[in-house]
Amino acid sequence: MSVIDIRFRVDAVCKKYDKYDIEKQRELNAYVNDSFAQIFHAIENEINATIRKAELASTETNRASAVAMNAEVRRTKARLMDEVPKLKKLAQKKVKGISKEELEIRNDLVLALPERIQAIPDGTMNAAKETGGWAFSSSHKNIKFDSSDGNFDSDFFQQTEESSKFKQEYEIRKMKQEQGLDIISEGLDTLKNLAHDMNEELDRQVPLMDDIDTKVDRATADLKNTNVRLKETINRVRSSRNFCIDIILLCVILGIASYLYNALK
Amino acid sequence: MAASDPNKLMAKADKLTKLSLTRWSADWKSATVLYEQAANAYRVAKDYEKAKEAFEKASKGQEMISSPWDAAKHMESAGALAKDLGKWNEVADFYRRASELYIVCGRSQPASDALARGARALEDAKPDEAIQLYTDACAILEEDGREQMAFDLYRAATSAYVKLEKYTDAAAFLLRLGVAADKCNATNSQCKAYLSAIIVYLYAHDFKQAEKCYNDCSQIDAFLRSDQSRCASKFLSAYTEGDIEEIKRLAQSSTISNLDHTIIKLARKLPTGDLSGLKTDDSKDQEEPLDENDLT
Repeated sequence: MSVIDIRFRVDAVCKKYDKYDIEKQRELNAYVNDSFAQIFHAIENEINATIRKAELASTETNRASAVAMNAEVRRTKARLMDEVPKLKKLAQKKVKGISKEELEIRNDLVLALPERIQAIPDGTMNAAKETGGWAFSSSHKNIKFDSSDGNFDSDFFQQTEESSKFKQEYEIRKMKQEQGLDIISEGLDTLKNLAHDMNEELDRQVPLMDDIDTKVDRATADLKNTNVRLKETINRVRSSRNFCIDIILLCVILGIASYLYNALK
Repeated sequence: MAASDPNKLMAKADKLTKLSLTRWSADWKSATVLYEQAANAYRVAKDYEKAKEAFEKASKGQEMISSPWDAAKHMESAGALAKDLGKWNEVADFYRRASELYIVCGRSQPASDALARGARALEDAKPDEAIQLYTDACAILEEDGREQMAFDLYRAATSAYVKLEKYTDAAAFLLRLGVAADKCNATNSQCKAYLSAIIVYLYAHDFKQAEKCYNDCSQIDAFLRSDQSRCASKFLSAYTEGDIEEIKRLAQSSTISNLDHTIIKLARKLPTGDLSGLKTDDSKDQEEPLDENDLT
């Protein structure tokens, strides 16, 4: 019997007699009747796991991985925050064998939970500082620019019918041109995106093509070997067949010779 | 005719695999051929239940004669028949086993494809199970360092999450796609994934998460320089200012049109909630008015 077999047998026996292990049973039954303790324990474990994940994210060198990890942390935080109201209700319920003091402690624990959950770092504060948020896109509200929209005072400029027509035509053409440029811009955007996608698709296809290439090379080599062996086999078969024919012909010639010999005799 | 009778073929094959006084070892090679013939005959006769069983046995036979590739193929056939019969639990099981058999062959791509096919079969009937299969398929390719082949799977899983209205999970999966794209330098897909995640958060009316996601993603240079980043920035600005018209205009822009169709649908429905709560107070935002005479 190997060591592995012995270990499996021992595990099986241990499992069979688990119910007699007092220590283990005490651990298992600790939260059976007390749903608050059960949920609180689960949440505490999850908080610790999330903190570990957050620490991992902060030390992660690959920024994309860090982003994904932070998102996971925030997702877990949101889920844990949803569990808090349920715990609040359970904390106020009276349970057998629990004193008033312990109930008060439970309430305090529940009140402290949201703070603990929110305190889990999810990599947002420093990010906002680094990039300056996204507020840079909006311009300052108090800065105003003088815009000459062509309505000059009569003191400076008197418009004739011809000049106003010319101006109108110019405006219409400008608008049409802008519309055309917008369409071109949109088309170029689409083309750019298609080019990017094609580039990525080609990057995907290259390793596949390499695989096919190696397989084809292997198949070609096998085919060459098979061809050589087939040639040898055919030669061997042909030579043996030729040998048979030679013997038959020899026999025929000998027969004819003997016949002629007998006839001439 | 007797030779092509599938019931007789099955009985004959079963006899070959059972041990008796005269037969001390099962003849799996002959039995497998018979199982395959029976399975095909049942399928032609449209007796899918028996065909499924026959394919399962044929797969077992191929496994016994050390041919896991053919075993996996038969498992997939059984899965397809289970789908036709509407036995969804079995569908997932068959495709998973097929995937495991492909992994035994050392072929991660077909293993992942098998799970993806299973997921597609289950997408309407059991979306949760389908998502699990998609996730496993992605994991197989990630372990093998073939993240580039998993892009379509990530997108399919995201669509499934959106259908189930699990928007946070969908966004998290899109960020995973971003990580995969980053590993194989697919900048365009990476930027699209991040913009998609922000749109999903906005659709779920979780502006804070969208903002955090944008700030996180802005740490990545490739995203910061991209059109997608500018689009996301404009979206967030429009949300802050409560400018519904601007949001609708942005949703029609070409940057959004180049995203996945599921995300485009979400973007076109923006804004989903009340924007008045997001409007920042002018008193907070406005700085002291400029003094025209002060040139310092």
